Amino acid sequence: MRATLINKASRNLMIFCMTAALAISSITWPLTATATEKVIDQAPQVATLRGTTPLNTEVTPPAMSKVENNDLKRQRDYPQQPPTIPHDISQYQLDKNFNKCMDCHSRKFADKAQAPAVSVTHYMNRDGDFLGEMSPRRYFCTQCHVHQLESEPLVENEFVDMEKIIRKAHELSK
Amino acid sequence: MKLTRRDVIKAQAAATAATVAGISLPASASNIITSSKANKLTWSKAPCRFCGTGCGISIATKDGKVVATHGDEKAPVNKGLSCVKGYFLAKILYGKDRLTTPMLRKKNGIYDKEGDFTPVSWTEAFDIMEEKFKKALKEKGPDGIGMFGSGQWTVHEGYAAVKLMKGGFLSNNIDPNARHCMASAVGGFMRTFGIDEPMGCYDDMEAADAFVLWGSNMAEMHPILWTRIADRRLSNPHVKVAVLSTFEHRSFDLADIPAVFTPQTDMVLLNAIANYIIESGSVNHDFVNKHVNFREGVTDIGYGLRPTHELQKKAKNPNSGASSPIDLEAFAQFVKPYTLEYAEKMSGVPARNIEKIAKLYADPNTKIMSLWTMGVNQHTRGVWTNNLLYNIHLLTGKISEPGNSPFSLTGQPSACGTAREVGTFSHRLPADMMVNNPKHRAISEEIWKLPKGIINGVPGAHAVQQVRDLKDSKINAYWIQVNNNLQAGPNINEEVLPAYRNPDNFIVTSDAYPTVTAEASDLILPSAMWVEKEGAYGNAERRTQAWYQLVNAPGDARSDLWQLVEFSKRFTTDEVWPADILAANPEYKGKTLYEVLYKNGNVDAFPLNQISPDYENQESKDFGFYVQKGLFEEYATFGRGHGHDLANYDVYQKERGLRWPVVNGHETKWRFKEGSDPYVKKGTDFQFYGHEDNKAVIFALPYEAPPEIPDAEFDMWLSTGRVLEHWHSGSMTQRVPELYKAFPNALCFMHPEDAKKRGLRRGDEVKVISRRGEIRTRIETRGRNKPPVGLVFVPWFDASQLINKVTLDATDPLSKQTDFKKCAVRIEKV
Amino acid sequence: MKKKMNLLKLGWEILSKPAVHLSLGFLTISGFIAGVIFWGGFNTAMELTNTEEFCTGCHEMRDTPFMELQSTIHYSNRSGVRAICSDCHVPHNWSDKIARKMQASKEVWGKIFGTIDTREKFEAHRLQLAQNEWTRLKANDSLECRNCHEFDSMDFTRQSKRAAAQHSNALASGEKTCIDCHKGIAHKLPNMDGVRESTSPH
Repeated sequence: MRATLINKASRNLMIFCMTAALAISSITWPLTATATEKVIDQAPQVATLRGTTPLNTEVTPPAMSKVENNDLKRQRDYPQQPPTIPHDISQYQLDKNFNKCMDCHSRKFADKAQAPAVSVTHYMNRDGDFLGEMSPRRYFCTQCHVHQLESEPLVENEFVDMEKIIRKAHELSK
Repeated sequence: MKLTRRDVIKAQAAATAATVAGISLPASASNIITSSKANKLTWSKAPCRFCGTGCGISIATKDGKVVATHGDEKAPVNKGLSCVKGYFLAKILYGKDRLTTPMLRKKNGIYDKEGDFTPVSWTEAFDIMEEKFKKALKEKGPDGIGMFGSGQWTVHEGYAAVKLMKGGFLSNNIDPNARHCMASAVGGFMRTFGIDEPMGCYDDMEAADAFVLWGSNMAEMHPILWTRIADRRLSNPHVKVAVLSTFEHRSFDLADIPAVFTPQTDMVLLNAIANYIIESGSVNHDFVNKHVNFREGVTDIGYGLRPTHELQKKAKNPNSGASSPIDLEAFAQFVKPYTLEYAEKMSGVPARNIEKIAKLYADPNTKIMSLWTMGVNQHTRGVWTNNLLYNIHLLTGKISEPGNSPFSLTGQPSACGTAREVGTFSHRLPADMMVNNPKHRAISEEIWKLPKGIINGVPGAHAVQQVRDLKDSKINAYWIQVNNNLQAGPNINEEVLPAYRNPDNFIVTSDAYPTVTAEASDLILPSAMWVEKEGAYGNAERRTQAWYQLVNAPGDARSDLWQLVEFSKRFTTDEVWPADILAANPEYKGKTLYEVLYKNGNVDAFPLNQISPDYENQESKDFGFYVQKGLFEEYATFGRGHGHDLANYDVYQKERGLRWPVVNGHETKWRFKEGSDPYVKKGTDFQFYGHEDNKAVIFALPYEAPPEIPDAEFDMWLSTGRVLEHWHSGSMTQRVPELYKAFPNALCFMHPEDAKKRGLRRGDEVKVISRRGEIRTRIETRGRNKPPVGLVFVPWFDASQLINKVTLDATDPLSKQTDFKKCAVRIEKV
Repeated sequence: MKKKMNLLKLGWEILSKPAVHLSLGFLTISGFIAGVIFWGGFNTAMELTNTEEFCTGCHEMRDTPFMELQSTIHYSNRSGVRAICSDCHVPHNWSDKIARKMQASKEVWGKIFGTIDTREKFEAHRLQLAQNEWTRLKANDSLECRNCHEFDSMDFTRQSKRAAAQHSNALASGEKTCIDCHKGIAHKLPNMDGVRESTSPH
């Protein structure tokens, strides 16, 4: 109820602003026609990512979410997908001086840190040769690995895991 | 007892799985399937759907679904790497709200601008479109219609669109959203070299000793190219990286020389470097004497605003790109006032740091690569700034050689391949040709097998002008494909939204997802996307890459190519061509545009049996000929023998892309240089053959102030841009849960002192207000971007926070590209 | 002129002669009071040099270390308890504090000669500056950390699993001290090439 009131108030304000803007613009450019208010004044019919906010209105954005920091491994959608980061990295230094991630994820610290060591692909240079240390092309971890915030996606994704398809094909072939 | 971290986590995970899921596999089910038949995936290749880097992607399909994507090890661009967006490509196809049927705004069963979106058939959709386009053509002629595409069109789609608009409807009102993105780069190339696109290539990144970023955050916007620079820098301690920007961002993490400058003063810095090169005696006189002309450009050229705008009226030479010849001596005098001290005063960058960067350019033994993107292009003096960048490479002769490379990066997958090479701009024809050049029109008419003199010689409306024309009811029927201009266009409140909702107009949007642009339209057409169709893209290093259709589009979604070609069947020459031309060329009478444009003997030259038997091809099967190959081969005739040579279409389906010009089967890495460019004659060393005298141009151009500067009322600079996890308006990436959760909402990045001054703290809700509009967002003082005092940064991917309600629709007067990087705003606590 | 000379002469005579009219008690008490005043003044002055305003009064500290601090948890966090420069960089007990303040005379020297007066110079000295502090904290078992972060008051159940594991093992056993794992917690780390081994996982 409160939200609708705010909505209504800001909508009215917007209408006032739009009308004023149009009034001004019609003086400057006599050819200007008036825009249809009705459509842009309503909650969107199709634009999922706008929620119920009309195109000409701005509402309170969701509060900033916290980072999921439970250290629980997440399932990957396919073997090639880089794992998302299950902990907070906001205070990690990752610049040419220092790579905090490798304090735990390097091969040498796997025993102490009990964190997954970077995979063998990380040792490959552009030519596919294995280097003795992690390849510098992989130095900036966050280009592929991202943290996850505690926010719910606005749109469901209907991607199908290959395992499901393979299992189905296997059952059929029996 | 010693409890390791592993034990803790394992126990926790097991408990969570048991309580949350409550499911376990039945004991009898095998946990792994080893049958080779069931286990086999089909792997194919395609370029990435996102930015202009053009990474090669390996795509696995299984039973009609894309099931995995990763960086292609064989692709020379990325050699097995991909950024986080690329790794999640498989999921961009499967957002639950994919559009699967055309939808028309209807009331009581008929079209109504204020009606509700109602599913309709393709026939009904095209019926109303045909009616509206014919009405506009009849009432206002070819200028009454318009089309807005993008650098995400495949080469084939862009080419089919240009043909339909320029060759069919005889309207030049077609523009790509690359206008918002690359137009200044194009303007810079055409002015300095007379031919578009970079002379160098990505191989420069393994050869350069120094990299200078001029207004580009490659670490987030071109992550894979950044891996190549990081590799070079971190593997070779002598390599230096300088990063210049109006705010500190992730690319600064690799910077040896970081420099935050006051917006617009990049022009001062560039002239100061030119001055330093001259005064330190570092001019490469041999190169300059042989290969360079000097010219001085006219100044005070306005800001591309409406002609009625005060600032525009004040300009002495609005929109003028004129220039007059000068010599090195005069150029030296021109840049003389740009001392290091003056540059420090204007830019805020300490003189010693400017000198360090200048030395990298001046030192003949340092191979240097300049890289830039939107910081330079989205700039009210974007073309000039591009010119100034080439100046410092030309003065030192550091160009067209491995590692010496001024390199303009691109933001869209085919900004080069489609928007620029195909010529989907309102003033262009394929292969760098211009609509206002009668010779170029004649060549196009001949290749297209159209009557002589039929192509319209007046450039059409560019992106921002199209919106103004829609608002002013000059364009009434409008087709938007593969872009989201209600989110991406500047000044949404005052221009874009009223333009689309103007009751005189009929707006059609083709998209895969229901964007805010679709919402503001009258008819929505569902599009096939990426590997749901066969296509080709061209990346920033002139690399053309093709792919096959790997899966079918959902429901009734169809490719933009199918939509364009199918719609052309609805019009006859008699309806849209002038009577006198038809009278002089009676053989064209009574034909449909489909017949004259696409069944013209070229486009339909290749039969269906040439399509790969391993892949689907929806459009070709529908039209009865291999439409992609026909379009590509006809298009390729424009450039072959003229410095834009493309290989045969089939070659691209085998190769991981080739860099044009491709002559005798060989790609070209460095253009204009003897030995590497087949167009350069022996004994000349360099030939800048875009200009008739084979010389490039150094331009004397001054610093000019931006149109809007923070004042007492609006006291902060606003810069907009992207974040790593989302691409452009987020219509694809916001539908991938992992990418959404990585960066769900836009934020206002602000300096902690600015926040303190306003009584704000991290997470507070604020309004970002300009003279044009406002949005609501939240304050971030600790994030990845660290603006200086006096500047805020807000990304534009978030459809729920349309920051372009705030931005100014001022453009570069030459390129017509909007400056999204600077306007004045005020931040208020809510 | 002569008057002034006479006044000076009189003053000197009073000071140079032993007290005739004043009692020993008076002298002792007033001496004690004066001592307290001077002592207090000394300490107050020294405390002044411990304030954030003093530390960030020069641009060397304001532009780099203080800027970097502002984006860390030691500056802004959920409870609003925050550390200022001296909390971590100046020992709390008196004799160590004086020793540290004596060392600071070297910093005055650095200020006068502009040792770190540009960002580049600061970067060039960053490793040395950091190592000074790491050595000090390692030697005193991270005393300044422990002034606020008391081991006995740590509730491991309220820590992240990784933190709890490390604190309950390495820290509890005395195998590690705070600074071993928490380098770079308030300011950016220098180039760790070569010092890499001493940075342990956390």
